[in-house]
Amino acid sequence: MKKSSFRKVLVGALAVAVMFSMSACGNSTGTADGNSSGDSSAQSDSGKTKLYVVNWKDYGTDDKELMKQFEEENDCEIVNTYMQSEDDLLTKLKTSGSGEIDVCLPNCTILPAAIEGDLLEPIDTSKLTNFNSLFDRFKTQKECLGDDGQMYAVPVVWGSTAVAYNTDNVKEAPTTIKCLFDEQYKGKIAFRDDYNDAIMTAALALGQDPNNPSDLDAIKELLLKQKSLNKTYWQTGDEFSKLFASGQIDVGLMWSGQSATMKKDGEPIGFVVPEDGGIGWVDNFAIPKNSKNKELALKFIDYMISKDVQYKWSSNGGPAPSNQEAANAIDPDYAQSAAMDEASLNRLTFMEYRDDKTKQEWNDLWTEVKAS
Amino acid sequence: MKVNKKSAMTWPAMLMLLCFTLIPLLIMFETSFRSDETGTLTLENYKKFFTNFMYIKLTGSTLLMSLLVTVISLLIAYPLAYIMAKKLKGLKNVILVLTIIPFFTNQLVRVYSWLIFLQDGGILNRLFMSFGLAENGLGILYTRAAVVIGLTHAFFPYMVVTIYMALERMDDSLIEASMSLGASKWTTFKDVIFPISMPGVMSGVTIVFVPCLGSFVEPRILGGVNGTVIGTVIEDQFFQLYGWNFGAAIAFVLFALVLIFMGAFGALGRRWETE
Repeated sequence: MKKSSFRKVLVGALAVAVMFSMSACGNSTGTADGNSSGDSSAQSDSGKTKLYVVNWKDYGTDDKELMKQFEEENDCEIVNTYMQSEDDLLTKLKTSGSGEIDVCLPNCTILPAAIEGDLLEPIDTSKLTNFNSLFDRFKTQKECLGDDGQMYAVPVVWGSTAVAYNTDNVKEAPTTIKCLFDEQYKGKIAFRDDYNDAIMTAALALGQDPNNPSDLDAIKELLLKQKSLNKTYWQTGDEFSKLFASGQIDVGLMWSGQSATMKKDGEPIGFVVPEDGGIGWVDNFAIPKNSKNKELALKFIDYMISKDVQYKWSSNGGPAPSNQEAANAIDPDYAQSAAMDEASLNRLTFMEYRDDKTKQEWNDLWTEVKAS
Repeated sequence: MKVNKKSAMTWPAMLMLLCFTLIPLLIMFETSFRSDETGTLTLENYKKFFTNFMYIKLTGSTLLMSLLVTVISLLIAYPLAYIMAKKLKGLKNVILVLTIIPFFTNQLVRVYSWLIFLQDGGILNRLFMSFGLAENGLGILYTRAAVVIGLTHAFFPYMVVTIYMALERMDDSLIEASMSLGASKWTTFKDVIFPISMPGVMSGVTIVFVPCLGSFVEPRILGGVNGTVIGTVIEDQFFQLYGWNFGAAIAFVLFALVLIFMGAFGALGRRWETE
């Protein structure tokens, strides 16, 4: 055989390998809280006013049924563009031309940057007829307020990441987030593989401020101790569902929306925001500075936080409503399964904006925990 | 200059390689030298990797895991490839197809099948319990062992194919000559068959070892809390943090390792052949 036969066989084998490994892979993280799908690409044939909305896919504003009344009353058409991430939305806001976006949905992690960057229009809440029905906490949501005390965004929907538990095996609902660090559930815990949730949860358990933890070493130590108590760390919601459904876990860090969906599917799952807190998120509607339809945009926001729309959206598998009247109208069982009540809401710490350096630092800590 | 018709036919492939392999690689290489804060060129990403012992340790444990998978694959694949090439006539195509079936299976389907098979209360668990070999859960899932099993299953067919190809084209009269000169079966294997199959073995080793080094799906899903490898760290950088700069730097450290190992495997294969 010649010297080059190693190379020949290698090239041949690689060719075979490439031929056969046609399968691609990806972690699918679907929008857990989405409801019906809508076709947004429909173009209007008439000269109706168009309201340009940037939002997540399958997230209320592309639900034809939900939008119908507004479109009819205002003789307009809602045109959805989808955002891929919060950072994507921030980029869109920075680069969009005049009149390209009328309403968008930033969460608290990018709101400060958007307000400071002078990208958003202040909102005159006195013009929102439904504003007074919002949960008190949301009327003064601090991330929505600028330094000038004006409100730049209106909370629309929210949810939490807290404790889910198996109601068959855990008789009393856990009252503390420390249950995720408790020896008595050894091997029956599923913590989330996410640096942000991991550190915020550990900070809650230690009584530190989850957004500005004072002692990262103590957090690391706690997470290292917690590691061996887990069945596994879960990453996709689907992973958690399978672990739960097969009875392999009793408690876990979970999203409110998915818990509610799982309960609807008949799983013996309970969800609590324990007394020492949980992690919250809230999506807010805002109007970009360079919108050309600010009046209509404001009307639209008012419509989206109305009791009726919020009730329909939330009770149809959507996230929790910011409108208290809507929350009260929802079937209590369902509301409880996603901890939509005011007491739970007031216990939440909302995720704040973090700069890249902090993200890297937190991720390094979490990687060290996982790799040890 | 005369345009060679044959070489003109390779242009589309060359263009593909240029556009979708070489240029992206160069872009990522440049990215790996970008600073997170200032965006200027810097060595800080590489410095971070080499000054944090955790990353070195993790790379080391990933290397060991990949070597283990490679050795196990070789031990499984060689006898199978030998029997297919030298002992079986009609049946070998059936075995070849069976070996190749994992190739046709989507990676996630394959991984989740292992998950269901290995989990507590899963098929393997129940089998062991019915024979009285285990009382409770086996506890294999979410350990490094599960990752090694999953990776071996995914990659050993490559090894079978390469070794089979090397053995298939070997002249059988060499074996006859060796035997007729009085060599034992073992000596014949050690001094004649194995050296000749070495190119196949070494390319098999390369093809199993290299993807193991960069794997992240099997470790993440089957390894659970014990599933952190250098591949999952890179994945986290890209998908959790959008930390492309540091992620690219780790990827290129891994790439350098891959090149070193490929060079070593190649040299080893050639040395064996020429002896």
